[in-house]
Amino acid sequence: MTQTMIQRVARPAIVLALAAACRTKGGAAPTRSDAPAAIAYPSHIAAGGVAPRGATLTNPYAGDTAAVTAGAALFTAMNCDGCHGGGATGWVGPSLADGRWRYGGAAGEIFSSIYYGRRQGMPAFGGIMPAAGIWKVVTYLQSLEPPNDVPTESWK
Amino acid sequence: MMRAHLTSVSVGAACITAAAWAAVAFTPGAIAGPRITPAAASDDGEWTMPGKDYASTRYSGLSQITPANAAHLHPVWSFSTGVLGGHEGQPLVVHNTMYVVTPYPNTLYAFDLTQPDYPLAWKYRPAVSPNAVGVACCDAVNRGAFYADGKIVYNLLDGHTVAVDANTGKQLWETTIADVSNGETTPMAPFVVKDRVLVGASGGEFGIRGWVKGLDLQTGHLVWTGYNIGADSDLLVKPGQFKPFYDHAPNLGASTWPKNAWQTGGAPVWGWMSYDSTLDLVYYGTGNPAPYNPEQRAGDNKWTTSVMARRPEDGALVWAYQFTPHDSWDFDAAAEMVLVDLRIAGTMRKVLVHFDKNGFAYTIDRATGQVLVAQPFVEENWAKRIDLETGRPVVDSSKLTGASRGNVKNICPTLEGGKSPASPVAYSPRTHLFYVSTSNMCMDYQAVPAAHIRGTPYIGANSPYYAGPGGYMGAFEAWDASVGRKVWEIKERWPVWSGVVATAGDVVFYGTLDGWLRAADARTGKILWSFKVGSGVVGNPITYRGPDGKQYLAVYAGIGGDWFLLAGDVRSDDPADVRPPADFAKDLARHTSQGGMVWIFAL
Repeated sequence: MTQTMIQRVARPAIVLALAAACRTKGGAAPTRSDAPAAIAYPSHIAAGGVAPRGATLTNPYAGDTAAVTAGAALFTAMNCDGCHGGGATGWVGPSLADGRWRYGGAAGEIFSSIYYGRRQGMPAFGGIMPAAGIWKVVTYLQSLEPPNDVPTESWK
Repeated sequence: MMRAHLTSVSVGAACITAAAWAAVAFTPGAIAGPRITPAAASDDGEWTMPGKDYASTRYSGLSQITPANAAHLHPVWSFSTGVLGGHEGQPLVVHNTMYVVTPYPNTLYAFDLTQPDYPLAWKYRPAVSPNAVGVACCDAVNRGAFYADGKIVYNLLDGHTVAVDANTGKQLWETTIADVSNGETTPMAPFVVKDRVLVGASGGEFGIRGWVKGLDLQTGHLVWTGYNIGADSDLLVKPGQFKPFYDHAPNLGASTWPKNAWQTGGAPVWGWMSYDSTLDLVYYGTGNPAPYNPEQRAGDNKWTTSVMARRPEDGALVWAYQFTPHDSWDFDAAAEMVLVDLRIAGTMRKVLVHFDKNGFAYTIDRATGQVLVAQPFVEENWAKRIDLETGRPVVDSSKLTGASRGNVKNICPTLEGGKSPASPVAYSPRTHLFYVSTSNMCMDYQAVPAAHIRGTPYIGANSPYYAGPGGYMGAFEAWDASVGRKVWEIKERWPVWSGVVATAGDVVFYGTLDGWLRAADARTGKILWSFKVGSGVVGNPITYRGPDGKQYLAVYAGIGGDWFLLAGDVRSDDPADVRPPADFAKDLARHTSQGGMVWIFAL
């Protein structure tokens, strides 16, 4: 029964797979500096505040409403809602529907978080989900409208 | 355990005298077992194990605080743990030292109670994997430590048990007991009997296969593993020794499941244990079957939602009883089993008393597993009654859930339980009453098919909550387990999620989700005193005698557990995680926020 469930939802997602994942916006050269080559990416020196390389990945489904629907189904089928809650509003895992992102909210950043996992328990779905499926989940998450009580929750 | 508000799939005594403890503490290799007697709790002034005594009564013989003077209680000391997250569990007080274990990252503090300001003697900071934080179903909680033979023994969230020298804070041993990558985490408090350290793992929301392990107290080495589901041999059923009162067929732990479904069937162990030295039996409850969609696991699903009685030495299973066969509502039976002697229908009986998530309080013969009394202690409507002939609930079939049944409305109680198993009761041998924190909530339950993907949640239900009949969401009540009757009740606006301590002064203490610590008259239920401790209370108050001879009361503040999840707006720690209020508890965050504090009170 469990296998059936995964296949039914995930099979259509297999098609585009890795090709999309590997497409990047070329090798835009970092600003030159006198730093040694090994740290020649000045943007990496500003610790914590800089988008990781995943930001340059492009979502092949950007703006595709069918991908939003498919991504929502995958979000359930792959047990994402088990940690992030129904509607991705947060449970043990953080809310993904509040317009705020621990590891960056650009499409490629979200892709990287799903593909590689994150250190507080986010599994690396890259090993069990085709890249096209991950992109559909990205598309779904980016379609969510933040609730109107972000950032102010008022009881007045 | 419990999860709500998920759109579909898978989410998710006896006692020891002071002299005996002193002997255990100062004699290396001393065996506590033979010294244990089933008498009522003594006035030993200490708190050496989670449930106060092996019977798990949480009753202290201290009597300085009384209904007449409780209004004069005041805070004498507080300490920030430096950790957010649900501060479940309770401190220990042994030899004038207070031991506090925090939620992840599981720092262990030892406070010297003999000096002014109670400075730290030491603190121990283990290396715990942050990966466990996201795998723990319901916040990165810890339910406390156990003192035995000069050691503080507790579990790290990431599947390790450690023993630390109670004097020096030096680690004595560390043992890997669970596999986080398989969905197992370890928030429960270990339980030490003789030379065995008994531990279990959470993971009913990840489709683990639940177990209890017995470690050697001196070395930490694994001695035995007893599964709760699967073939008899894996359950440590020994020839001629396993005698459940109601169920007699072999291999029920496998035959009451669809083929191989038990391999991912849950039955985690995350609650409390108790021990009867005369019968030489350890008792503990098992958690929910996985997944929450019951149509994926036809059958009784033994031994999920059950009480198990085992021999501590070798783990042999002696009897078992299942509270909620084929559980359709996430009714874990992880709550404490309190061992008391009660007069029932004119006869003194050695019983265990258990307040189940399913809303019934059970009084059970602890030698045989026969149910003597089973009555609802909160509003419930999933079962008409418990049939004492068969031990089975008479279920209202309109409340059965399943993916083909759509959204089943108005089921009471909820996945959170009529009582949270994490919030243990207390029993007073003076009043012969149990004191119980309860939740008065109902739910709708929509099951959906769940797919098991190793290391990810395996749930399959969406279950929004609302207040039960009367509109209040919780209460603190006194219960007579000899007949199954509520004696008095204090209604609270929010579910009550703290543990309880009862005292020989006839004062009982509990805390509320909005951060009030309360003292109540054990006989009348009158509130005698309240103090706002700064964050909701989900831990268990204790009382002890200080070096100055005075009675003190200690408790953690720190809302969390399911309440950091259900009311995600009580968080303020992560700017990248901003959540709306729970629709059934919109105001809770108006009254409390996360925080971790240890408080001490005195007259």
